[in-house]
Amino acid sequence: MHFQLAWRNIWRNPRRTAVILIAVVIGVWSMVFLGALMVGVSDQMVRNSIATLTGSLQIHSPGYRADPVIDHSMDHPEEVISVLKKTLPVGAEWASRVRVHAVASNARHSSGVTLVGIDPAREAAVSFIGGAVDEGRYLDAEDPYGILVGRALLENYETRSGHKLVLMSEDAAGEIASRAFRIVGVYTAELAATEKQFVFVTKAAAQEMLGMGDAVSEIAVLLPNPTAGDDSAAALQSALPEQYAVHTWRELLPLVEAYLEINRKSVAIWYFVVFIAMGFGIVNTMLMAVYERIREFGLLKALGMKPGWIIRGVVTESLLLLMMGILAGNFLALSTVLIVARTGIDLSVFAAGAEFAGMPRVIYPVLKTEHVTAANLVVLVLGLIVSLYPAFKAARFTPVEALAHT
Amino acid sequence: MPIKIPVGFRIICWSVCWVGLILVGAAAARDADAIVSDSFHYMRGEASVSTVVMTIHRPDWERQMTVNGWTRGEKDSLLRIIEPPKDEGNGTLKKGPEMWTYNPKVNRVIKLPPSMMSQSWMGSDFSNNDLAKSDTLLYDYDHVLEGTETHEGKKVYLIKSIPKPKAPVIWGMQRLKIREDHVMLEETFYDEDLNPVKILTSSDIQMLGGRLFPKFTTMRKAEDPEEYTRLEYKALEFKEDLPDRIFTLSRLKNPRR
Repeated sequence: MHFQLAWRNIWRNPRRTAVILIAVVIGVWSMVFLGALMVGVSDQMVRNSIATLTGSLQIHSPGYRADPVIDHSMDHPEEVISVLKKTLPVGAEWASRVRVHAVASNARHSSGVTLVGIDPAREAAVSFIGGAVDEGRYLDAEDPYGILVGRALLENYETRSGHKLVLMSEDAAGEIASRAFRIVGVYTAELAATEKQFVFVTKAAAQEMLGMGDAVSEIAVLLPNPTAGDDSAAALQSALPEQYAVHTWRELLPLVEAYLEINRKSVAIWYFVVFIAMGFGIVNTMLMAVYERIREFGLLKALGMKPGWIIRGVVTESLLLLMMGILAGNFLALSTVLIVARTGIDLSVFAAGAEFAGMPRVIYPVLKTEHVTAANLVVLVLGLIVSLYPAFKAARFTPVEALAHT
Repeated sequence: MPIKIPVGFRIICWSVCWVGLILVGAAAARDADAIVSDSFHYMRGEASVSTVVMTIHRPDWERQMTVNGWTRGEKDSLLRIIEPPKDEGNGTLKKGPEMWTYNPKVNRVIKLPPSMMSQSWMGSDFSNNDLAKSDTLLYDYDHVLEGTETHEGKKVYLIKSIPKPKAPVIWGMQRLKIREDHVMLEETFYDEDLNPVKILTSSDIQMLGGRLFPKFTTMRKAEDPEEYTRLEYKALEFKEDLPDRIFTLSRLKNPRR
């Protein structure tokens, strides 16, 4: 019966109820929608970063990460690869690469790039480059002078497919090695920075140019579940001899990891802020409703109603308010997410700024059950807790106080 | 009625023609190679000592520096700035394929890494690569004689130089004008669309160091004639040879030793 009572009490002042309902709806909506956006951004960032030559984990010579020079390459990749074949779960892909800093120049322009020597067939299964070539063709194994460059680099250099690019780098003997490559394909990447940074040649060409024999700089592994690398990394590290270091993408991309952490924290802070605002609204509304009804509560008390019942009554009113708000808020948030997810939020107007932060160009919100549940629980539980205050206030009125109140 | 020529005879005719053409072509290429190589060795000499005033000109400013230079053979050279005082002592040593620079203010010799090779030398229109790959014209290009013209009553060879397919050369083509007395009059650098990028011209050819030599050499950007670097030879002496001790790191740091 007290549900019915509470329901009727709420609608005694429809305008006030509507106002607080709107507050709850907006609060819930913003929590769910913003959470979905943040998850979308982080997911895409992680996927991009893993695809941009990171993989789930990588194996290097121990000095390479601190100083990625040719001296820190692995001279016998085959012994690593035989361990990989034994240790990795089914479905894992791996690719070995030569990766050094180089200078690319043509007649008009010259700048620093990262020269990546790849095994075309294997690389396609591990990183983005396999599917990113949208002009010309992908490298093939017998392509000693072919090079893939990014769209942005191509424009910078005022050149085009079929033209020459001269790469210079330090070779294994410490001398300057240079070699002319022909642009056979142009790739597009999510970030213009990637397009400007990486140029791809075949592994054999890079090894020949740099005089490094069969040595490679790194071996990247892509696991069937790309983001879970910890177990495999530990297994590999213990199976491999000491002169190899295994790192997961979290260790390789500390910046992305930090960004994810910031993302999580800022969502939590947002939840907190929204809730504080909403909580005060709820307390205020309920206090108003309670003070308005002092004489009523006094009468109930005089008739012998226990304070606990009064508390229960008031809390039920706020429970009903919250439930309605949460339902409407979730409905609104879900529909916004569905609509936005179809087109995404295009940030390309601000692309320069967004790219600097390493963010994707188009954001697609992603709903995660745990986030939605968290947002709802926060609102419901904390909302009920704060409404205890007006409830206790109501329970403490005595009939005498109520009589004195006009 | 058409005259019937036996097929065999026709083949012989064609073969003779082709062989002839190839021979002529080969001869032209060899001639062109010889012209370029003779000119290179004539301009550079066995060894040389020179003083050059380098003027870097831009639309809104201009500056000059005086450089002492020593060269030996095709690959070795030492350059040191002697004026203005701000830059005095800065030097560049090139020995074989390697190159070092010295800055007296920080008292450091730096071996030029690949990343600096395409940067300009002392802010001029010459790049470190222009110095480091001084002999690239001899080894990285195929030369073809395109024609001749006359200059001050002398025959000038017009040569088209196409980089060998695998040569690490950024240019798409060079065109050279070499006078019959081996003086290089003009060198134009083209990109791969065969648009000119930089032009190196010589002027005021006179007796210098015992041979006819251009007093002025200008490197000019093709698109912007107001941006150029001009070299003026104040003194030039050709020698039989220069001692090894000149082309050393200690000499780069300390001119008096």
